[in-house]
Amino acid sequence: MRKAMTLLIVIILACTTVWAGATKEEGVAATTGTPKDTLVIGVAQEINEQNPMMQNDQINNNCFVLTHERLIFVDSNNGYLLSPELAESWEWKDDTHLVFHLFKTIKFNNGTPLTAADVAFTLNRARSNDPTKSKISGTLKLITDVSALDDYTVQITTSAFSNELIYNLGAYPLVIQSKAAYEDPANKAPWLVGTGPYRFKEWKEGQYVTYEKRDDYWNAAKEPSIASSITFRFLLEASQRVIALQNGEIDVCIDPPTTDLKFLKEDANITVHTQAGTRLFYLSFNVEKAPFDNQKLRQAVSCAIDKQTIVDIVLDGRGKWQTSVLNRGAWSFLDNDQVEGGYAYDVARAKALLAEAGYQPGQLTVELFSATDDPYKTIAPIVQANLKEIGINVVIKSMDQATLKTECANGHQQLFLWRWNIGARVDETYRELFYTNFPTNYAQLKDAYVDQMADKVLTEKDPEKRLQYSHELQNYFVELVPQVPLYVPDLVIAYKKGLKGAYLTGGGAHDWSRAYIEQ
Amino acid sequence: MIPTLLVTSLLIFWAMDLAGGDPVNQILPENATYEQREILREQMGFNDPFMVRYFRYIGGILSGDMGKSYISGLDVFGTFMGRLHMTLLLGGSALIFACLISVPLGIYTALHQNTWKDTLATVLALFGVSMPNFWLGLMLILLFSLKLGWLPSGGTGGIQYLVLPAVTVGLSLAALLTRTTRSAMLDVIRQDYMTTAKAKGASYRRVIYNHGLRNAMIPIVTAVGMQFSYVMTGSALAETVFGWPGIGRLVVDSINKRDTPMVTGSIILCCVLMAIINLAVDIVYAFCDPRIKAQYSGRS
Repeated sequence: MRKAMTLLIVIILACTTVWAGATKEEGVAATTGTPKDTLVIGVAQEINEQNPMMQNDQINNNCFVLTHERLIFVDSNNGYLLSPELAESWEWKDDTHLVFHLFKTIKFNNGTPLTAADVAFTLNRARSNDPTKSKISGTLKLITDVSALDDYTVQITTSAFSNELIYNLGAYPLVIQSKAAYEDPANKAPWLVGTGPYRFKEWKEGQYVTYEKRDDYWNAAKEPSIASSITFRFLLEASQRVIALQNGEIDVCIDPPTTDLKFLKEDANITVHTQAGTRLFYLSFNVEKAPFDNQKLRQAVSCAIDKQTIVDIVLDGRGKWQTSVLNRGAWSFLDNDQVEGGYAYDVARAKALLAEAGYQPGQLTVELFSATDDPYKTIAPIVQANLKEIGINVVIKSMDQATLKTECANGHQQLFLWRWNIGARVDETYRELFYTNFPTNYAQLKDAYVDQMADKVLTEKDPEKRLQYSHELQNYFVELVPQVPLYVPDLVIAYKKGLKGAYLTGGGAHDWSRAYIEQ
Repeated sequence: MIPTLLVTSLLIFWAMDLAGGDPVNQILPENATYEQREILREQMGFNDPFMVRYFRYIGGILSGDMGKSYISGLDVFGTFMGRLHMTLLLGGSALIFACLISVPLGIYTALHQNTWKDTLATVLALFGVSMPNFWLGLMLILLFSLKLGWLPSGGTGGIQYLVLPAVTVGLSLAALLTRTTRSAMLDVIRQDYMTTAKAKGASYRRVIYNHGLRNAMIPIVTAVGMQFSYVMTGSALAETVFGWPGIGRLVVDSINKRDTPMVTGSIILCCVLMAIINLAVDIVYAFCDPRIKAQYSGRS
């Protein structure tokens, strides 16, 4: 028996050693020998939809920008400058008619030409209230008709003038799709037909999605794509993404954990890229419900919150606290030193305001609704401790995001933590967060002045006046305090040295179509 | 099995319903209009009473439709089956690895009861049971992937991708199975028939393997079956650490996203899977113990 056991152990050890040695080179070749013309991006989320207008998630949008194109390109790294993408020019004919002139050489990835009929089809389908066809019609309510005037001219008719409609049309869910593909009964996935420089190759659920370069891409004037394939690997565990990057299995690591940044920076083969973000995290009130229908009390809470400490704890200092309700970097955004007045961290002032609101320390116990995931579960105890300091007891109620949204939409909350991300359109904040009866007005605000100013910002044609209205509205929110804006985290991405051509935005809407690793 | 599945499905459906939250918020973007939300509620039947929705769901299952994911829109059954083979591969490999270590080690420690070898094996087994999967997984990745560069840190592909997850899951199984094998063998080696076999002049190997191990197999097979069921449905941590697209990770991701159809469907299918594994274990009993085989043969 002893001999047999010894023999078995020796055999197992020998096999393991031989096998490990044999697989070493193979393993390294398979995992670290990234060819120059491929790009592998490790992402923290899996894609969940391939039809652009059936979603509005950043991870999907980062894929659609490879395979499809929009009418116009909105450069969020350059003051939201507009430039041609599928439309070479555009103009407002009058207050309610916007006309686009398309390039005449555009081809879909199935070889068919793109015409105005495809644009009209896409936009009209996107406007549909039927949720089996489109889930984004809420952003297109202003449009009453889209029609093709000729093969390369499209006219959009609106019920009123909007400063932001043009930016709306630059959104990723509104990439142009092929009418013929949808009309072809044999085509079971017509949404995959696009005009972009890559085409969809494979989605291995739970593993990766891959796109391959088109050789027949229509736009020779654009900077050419280098990588023959781009793969998004779904590595949900943050530490695994970091190890995979260090190990050479991926070229780019999205959202590395702050605790690992030190090690990544020490790695000579890796670059840690940081730029200002746009996603705003905030503490909000239900302003219709006691006790936070009391403006003085909301101001007291605002003074009690130590935003810099939250940034230090949650982000290890990689972010900026802010006062305005608008997302940092948005048009007309007022930075902390530009707002008038405000209720910055000042415990003595907070206590005074609490007394003015009619409450004694210890008298008030409120509920804070918080999502169970990061960063909310870290922010919530800090808010609880901050408010305890001025004598407000906070009971944290944790729930998943779906329940939180439902509870807030139904007005059951007193305090809640949430986030908001916008691109070029400030109306996404003014209207969607604060306009009377808008579905996402979780603060339950009903304020005629806010509604009126939001409308003015949307429709005022004089740029100076419009800017003034937006500034006035931000200052009004600072005084009204329907929410306490907390911070905007920086965008942090780690990648192999030599990455070129990536278009990275603070809001996470990246374009990898021209990215490659220079070896 | 059918009553079990019916009760399970009702409990899961009820639990997901109790959790609250409007599923429309999962399906539509935040800025969807009230009209779109209401249309979707009607289309999906969310406005119907609980029992109506439950029986519609059961009707769907009976006609082969387990519904579609709220998040991805993918078919629940297809998604589950698409990941099942990955979990079977991981679970099967982990179990083989565990058996290769634990059965010989269990026999060895039983034969050397109360010696330092037995104590060492017991301590190692305790260590194996106590070690969290995710920690062990990360340590193995750091060593074999990052430091030595021998194996990939995660994902799927060739056999090299299977090694670290299988070892991670297998080591904790091995610890439990070693203890089970040891105690089963200790029970058996004191039996009279073992003494008789020795007295009849049977070789040491024949006594241990033919007379001893064979009679100790029932508790070992039971433990293996239970551990296999556990691995099939409970290896979510290891799957997450290694980016292994199995059903454990599918269920956990779906719960985190409140993807009700995927959670409900996956748990029902996991129940079916466990029932099949238990049935397989019962069949294996018959091969291990001729008395059980004879019992069933006698009935027919």
